[in-house]
Amino acid sequence: MERQAGSSHRQLPHTADVGFEACAPSLPAVFEEAARALAEIAAETTGTVGSPVETGPLRAHDLEGLAFAWLNELIALADAQGCVLVGATVSHLAPVADGWTLEGRATLVPYESPGIRTLRQVKAVTLHRLAVDRGPAGFTLTAYADI
Amino acid sequence: MASHMVPLERLDTWRWRIPRDEQRGMRVDGIVFADDRLMGRLRDDPALEQVANVAALPGIVGESLAMPDVHWGYGFPVGGVAATLADDGVISPGGIGFDINCGVRLLRTDLRRDDVSRVAARLADELFRAVPTGVGARTGARLAPRDLDRVLEQGAAWPVARGLGSHEDLDLTEERGTLAAADAAAVSLRAKQRGADQLGTLGSGNHFLEVQAVDRVLDVAAARVLGLDVGRVVVLIHCGSRGLGHQVCTDHLAIMDRSAARHGIHLPDRQLACAPLRTPEADAYLAAMAAAANFAWANRQVIAHDVRQAFGRLFGPHEAAAMGLVYDVSHNIAKFERHVVDGREMEVCVHRKGATRAFPAGHPDVPARYRSVGQPVLIPGDMGRYSFVAVGTDGAMARAFGSTCHGAGRDLSRHAAVRQLRGTDVAAALAREGIVVRAQRPDLLAEEATVAYKDVAVVVDVAAGAGLIRPVARLRPLVVVKG
Repeated sequence: MERQAGSSHRQLPHTADVGFEACAPSLPAVFEEAARALAEIAAETTGTVGSPVETGPLRAHDLEGLAFAWLNELIALADAQGCVLVGATVSHLAPVADGWTLEGRATLVPYESPGIRTLRQVKAVTLHRLAVDRGPAGFTLTAYADI
Repeated sequence: MASHMVPLERLDTWRWRIPRDEQRGMRVDGIVFADDRLMGRLRDDPALEQVANVAALPGIVGESLAMPDVHWGYGFPVGGVAATLADDGVISPGGIGFDINCGVRLLRTDLRRDDVSRVAARLADELFRAVPTGVGARTGARLAPRDLDRVLEQGAAWPVARGLGSHEDLDLTEERGTLAAADAAAVSLRAKQRGADQLGTLGSGNHFLEVQAVDRVLDVAAARVLGLDVGRVVVLIHCGSRGLGHQVCTDHLAIMDRSAARHGIHLPDRQLACAPLRTPEADAYLAAMAAAANFAWANRQVIAHDVRQAFGRLFGPHEAAAMGLVYDVSHNIAKFERHVVDGREMEVCVHRKGATRAFPAGHPDVPARYRSVGQPVLIPGDMGRYSFVAVGTDGAMARAFGSTCHGAGRDLSRHAAVRQLRGTDVAAALAREGIVVRAQRPDLLAEEATVAYKDVAVVVDVAAGAGLIRPVARLRPLVVVKG
């Protein structure tokens, strides 16, 4: 999971839950950076090598819908397999006739693995204030997760 | 974090009005139940903007309501209540939330405070072992697909039929622990995969299991009916539908986010995505939501059984057998109910997001045992102070679609709490108060510390002042188990 230069993220305050803002030079990179931000909300991982799991091809009518589908796909894959999300890669992200499509891979590590310190159960990423914006330096993805 | 300022008009000591604003798309007024103490912090909270946003839902009637514990949520505020016309309104999954039928259940014991205080550490260990807690908590045994489908359609009745509780438990659970509209086939395979090994698990975050003692009786007659007296030990369980419910909400939000425009629905917040009632999208969600609600009731039923077993190991089987249910209420749910709106009785779909049903004495949906006093309302506070038991009132029916607050409500963000406190210090402070705590990680204790929450006594005071509840008893924690 090589991080694209110029990618970063930060957490945003919320009274009950947690938000984050991911920035990256390209659309695939900002979706990967958002996955990294999501993973950091859920757990601290040191020296862990996870197993890759393919996400299904995801489709949505706009980029916010695609971000909702992507991030919740990662949460669901991890929860269903009893794993912590470590990160994710995007192998294909492109516009299609009725919106956008994405294919990628989640990297998961079982909860009981060494080097895992779980922090929070992320129930879901919400549509509240969910935004994918383009700026001079690239893209920003803002999201709030229900904890 | 600051929201667009929302205009507020004071109605009386306990209520504020957000006037209907057509430019905002509001179809009705907003009403916020708060006094000066609560409104001080609330004025800058995005929750008020969310109350106004909810007022834009098609078919909303009455007002968009904020209970006294309201705070910033996603889409709906936490502590939000909205009723939409059953014939001409919508259902919004965000008005129920991801943790469908998150709720609380109160068990009464025959033990006295001193019985527990002298073995509190051992009891905490027993409970911590008995109930899987924490991030990714699992039971170690996956339900077979056929059994999971039965849980989804039978709710709390499924574990009771297997000896994990009594029929009296069902009588004292909201909706008797089963929504009949549930359809297991409406729940996605992904949701079932997430829930199959999570039945009987507490989860994490603000979910908890607390052993408490009644420290003050506020309504002697009602307390007698509820079986509560000073010094009596009770157990409060707070959890929901786990990953299964989270996935149900995610699945149907995506569907309604796509279909809203087709139905001509435009909303100020996409998390309010909704579908007109009696459309295929609405029917599918309601069937899945009911199934997830049933999973949550079954979850609390299984946990209650495990708690009884833990008490039995420490205090003997006779004490476990004596642990009757006081009541089980839902915080996150939508239900079709009959209410009077503008002088006319009508069927509405009541969304409660972080709010508790509070039906009054005499209502047919209140269990026969409590019909003389009203439906029990369980209002947890923070783990260092107290919780309350109350009963529903006619005022709640008249002013809030039979609803009231569901807890203290957060005052500080999780980040702010962790910046201010260390979990080990929180545990030490609780110990000085005679409260034994067990948690999967110390950081969580900082996030859930007393200072992170409003004083639930103030919230209850406002709910009572506004006529939404009648307080019955105050409970003090002795043992706290957190995920």
